[in-house]
Amino acid sequence: MNPVPPTGGSVLAAAHGPLSLVQDIDWAAIAPPLAVASAALVVLLADLFLSGPRKVWLAWLSLAGLATALGLLLPLRGGGRATFCAPADPATGGPPACSYVVSDLTLVLQLVLIGSAAVVVLLSMPMTAPRPWADESGSDRAVPGGEYHFLLLASVAGAVTLAAARDLVTLVVALETLSLPAFALVGLRRDARGGEAALKYFLLSVAATAVLLFGVSLLYGATGAVHLDRIAAALTTLDPKLDTVAATGAGLVLVGFAFKVAAVPFHFWLPDTYRGAPVPVAAYLSVVSKTAGFAGLLLVAGIGLRPYAHVWGPALAVLAALTMTVGNVVAVRVATGSGDAVRLLAWSSIAQSGYVLVPFGTAAGDGADLADRLPASVAYLAVYAVMNLGAFAVVATVGRDRPTGVVGDYRGLVRVRPWLALAMAFFLLCLAGLPPGLMGLFAKVAVFQSVVAGGTGWLAVVMAVNVVVALYYYLVWTALLFQPPVPGPPPVAGDGEAAGTLGSGGTLRVPAPFAVAIGLAFGLGVVLSVAPQIVLRVLTVPGLLG
Amino acid sequence: MTAHGYFSTYALVGLVLLVGGGFVSVAFAANRLLRPHAPNVEKLMTYECGVDPVGEGWAQTHIRYYIYAYLYVIFAVDAIFLFPWATVFADPGFGTTTLVEMFVFVGFLAVGLLYAWRKGVLTWT
Repeated sequence: MNPVPPTGGSVLAAAHGPLSLVQDIDWAAIAPPLAVASAALVVLLADLFLSGPRKVWLAWLSLAGLATALGLLLPLRGGGRATFCAPADPATGGPPACSYVVSDLTLVLQLVLIGSAAVVVLLSMPMTAPRPWADESGSDRAVPGGEYHFLLLASVAGAVTLAAARDLVTLVVALETLSLPAFALVGLRRDARGGEAALKYFLLSVAATAVLLFGVSLLYGATGAVHLDRIAAALTTLDPKLDTVAATGAGLVLVGFAFKVAAVPFHFWLPDTYRGAPVPVAAYLSVVSKTAGFAGLLLVAGIGLRPYAHVWGPALAVLAALTMTVGNVVAVRVATGSGDAVRLLAWSSIAQSGYVLVPFGTAAGDGADLADRLPASVAYLAVYAVMNLGAFAVVATVGRDRPTGVVGDYRGLVRVRPWLALAMAFFLLCLAGLPPGLMGLFAKVAVFQSVVAGGTGWLAVVMAVNVVVALYYYLVWTALLFQPPVPGPPPVAGDGEAAGTLGSGGTLRVPAPFAVAIGLAFGLGVVLSVAPQIVLRVLTVPGLLG
Repeated sequence: MTAHGYFSTYALVGLVLLVGGGFVSVAFAANRLLRPHAPNVEKLMTYECGVDPVGEGWAQTHIRYYIYAYLYVIFAVDAIFLFPWATVFADPGFGTTTLVEMFVFVGFLAVGLLYAWRKGVLTWT
């Protein structure tokens, strides 16, 4: 390769003959997010020209877009592709730095993100179906289908890009592409509760973005680089006078991401937002949005701020311990018969975020052991996506016919819908980490291994105590599924219609898309419980963090 | 330059502030002392281009102007990208790709306009 001249197109022309200022793009590498984004546009246009019952095609279109994106991941197997590269740095002689890198980590995350998004689309089908055929029950209020699927796909495109982003600018832009449509999705039902949820989510998220951007600007100011690998290189040789600035920047960036993944004490928006949003959107936030947030944290902390692992490691350890403990303690308090099911899952997902954060907390400092520890987080995220989506899918199904949405609604579910109850029990046991939910157990063991290997004993103890505490509320809920229904009048005797749907005698419809979504999650859960090496293989991939 | 020398350059700014403030207050004070004082209704009326003002000072703007302002901003931002592009796209080294790229960008905006049109935002009544 010719030495690249410092600046100026004319010098470039002299070196390369006929000059091209247009950079080459590896279209195959960026095909998955491109497919999702194109699908978003197609859905938006289709919404304008389809009318009435034909709008049912919108959900299928977005499902097709996600399936295409999944298919386009296949030729990328093996990784090692990169595009949007800056030429080698003439000052330091460093290698070229790329903004978009398809590594094994990228592929695993993109697979989880796109797959989860497809399940969310399945879950939204009854909600966004054209009105004459959809039912008008309270929890199933009209959501405009075209806008919903467009916003969902736009948000997914941001998430998928984020998994491949390797510079701070791309990272922030992808994170905002993910977040902005999500605010609208939360409030799309346009009721008071959704509005409040959307506003809370919006305000706190914007504050987080501001903090994140401030941190990014400090990091850029201190290191003069935006590419994560260049930041890491610059931080190792940093002028000691700039150390405070860089450390402040690193701290602010991590706080920004801690908001996005709702780590305690930055979690206040989460329960209300999940509760006010339509259940599929809550599932989306708790799986896709959260996985993307962790992907960003993984990239920034694991690659860019690797030299500062001795600073952020202990800080994230405290954050992980707090997140697990607060999430579990509050969830235990919510887990009563009159506790809200979505709220319980929300607190449970906060606690689960804590487990994902644990491997970050064990990072001691040098790059070698980081590469051993952080993959446990990736494995946990993949397993968490399956089991949490499954639980949300069951909650969405039950919530349609029992609109009070309390945990007590699940009493005696096994008599009404045995398969639904068995699936829910399986997902809850996975989340708890008990057999037969082996995949949750294996994921927790992987995290434990990383803590023990990292020598952070106190964090292992905190996590062990938390896993035991969490058993309580998951088991209470599981036990409710198998308890005999309460005799006598149902607990909520409001209007006659609502009372009729409660209790054991009430019907519980399972629409086909819901059945497919639950079946998919259940099937995948069983497969991963029997053959966890499919996911745990990420632990042994060399150089996962690139 | 020493820190003292650096900050002393701000003395000029302070001086300008003092002179400016002094000029305005002297001018207004002299005006106040020299002028006759005989107000009437016409003189106290709000001056609005020489015609008598009509209605309240608080006026409500119709919400639909918001949509137009919004669409206008989109196209104003679009122009910000178009101008620098227009100065270079024909230069050597840019070529067809650059031309197509801009049309892709304008296409995205057109989709937004199409959306607004089909949703009936652009009809006035």
